Amino acid sequence: MWFEEIELGVKRTIGSHKFTQDEIIAFGKKYDPQPFHVDPVAAKRSSYGGIIASGWHTVAIWMRLMIEFQKSLGPEAWRGGVSPGFEDLRWIKPVRPGMTLTYSTETIEKIDLKSRPELGLIKSRNEARDAHGMLYMSFVGKGFIPRKPAGEAS
Amino acid sequence: MTSTFYHFEDFRPGQRFGFGQYEVTKEEIIEFAAEFDPQPHHMDEEAGRRSILGGLAASGWHVCAMGMRMFGDAFANQTASRGGVGVEECRWMKPVRPGDVLHIEMEVVETRILKSIPDAGIVKFRWDIFNQREQVASLTLLPLISKRGA
Repeated sequence: MWFEEIELGVKRTIGSHKFTQDEIIAFGKKYDPQPFHVDPVAAKRSSYGGIIASGWHTVAIWMRLMIEFQKSLGPEAWRGGVSPGFEDLRWIKPVRPGMTLTYSTETIEKIDLKSRPELGLIKSRNEARDAHGMLYMSFVGKGFIPRKPAGEAS
Repeated sequence: MTSTFYHFEDFRPGQRFGFGQYEVTKEEIIEFAAEFDPQPHHMDEEAGRRSILGGLAASGWHVCAMGMRMFGDAFANQTASRGGVGVEECRWMKPVRPGDVLHIEMEVVETRILKSIPDAGIVKFRWDIFNQREQVASLTLLPLISKRGA
């Protein structure tokens, strides 16, 4: 999809993920070895009362689901892929083993880039919610998306 | 880094800390990407060269995770940390490549008391992440840290 074709204000579900205790601990051991991410006994004594996923794990799963979702739309759907960063990432509630989160994305802003006329910048609001609709994680992502070259059919 | 155990009260705006020496390997870049960010420019050198990144480069989320590991090793387990409430802003400024060695220069930007959690507060940290040549990323994090005696 070209920058010109991206619609504002359409919220799409990109997929769901069930967090297992094993993968939460594996991610924690590798990248975020705080006791409440890696040690069930210490986690029980912590203010969380049990193991919780690293916030970086819950957001990394968003990335994977986003790529799988884009690929599912066909080869023309995913022209982007490079991002200058993100804003306002919130880890709202602890994500515990056995929980399933459903992730969504919505483009909220399209920005023209004077410095790079072949690209546009989009901002997206991304969320993870449980089966009851409770919000666990949200952030505003940014992505560079190619513009339609002159003369290209849509 | 001293052997101090830090509580909320120990942080004041303007304090600076330096830590980390994370050696980035091609294997780890590809392994992280295969699990969480399977895009060609994070998994294949040739695809990386053809992309805007100009070569194989780590996923930005991987850069954040490596930053977290450096922070954890140097700091989080010597701090009364209760995890993060979020990240105000993250900027991925330059590609992180195999062979890079990363470190963090961290500054305390602000400390914040919360009405809702009387026994802890937020310490806003800015991480400037560098490789051996230049700054590659900047993050403003919001960890929750217990007060003394909590």
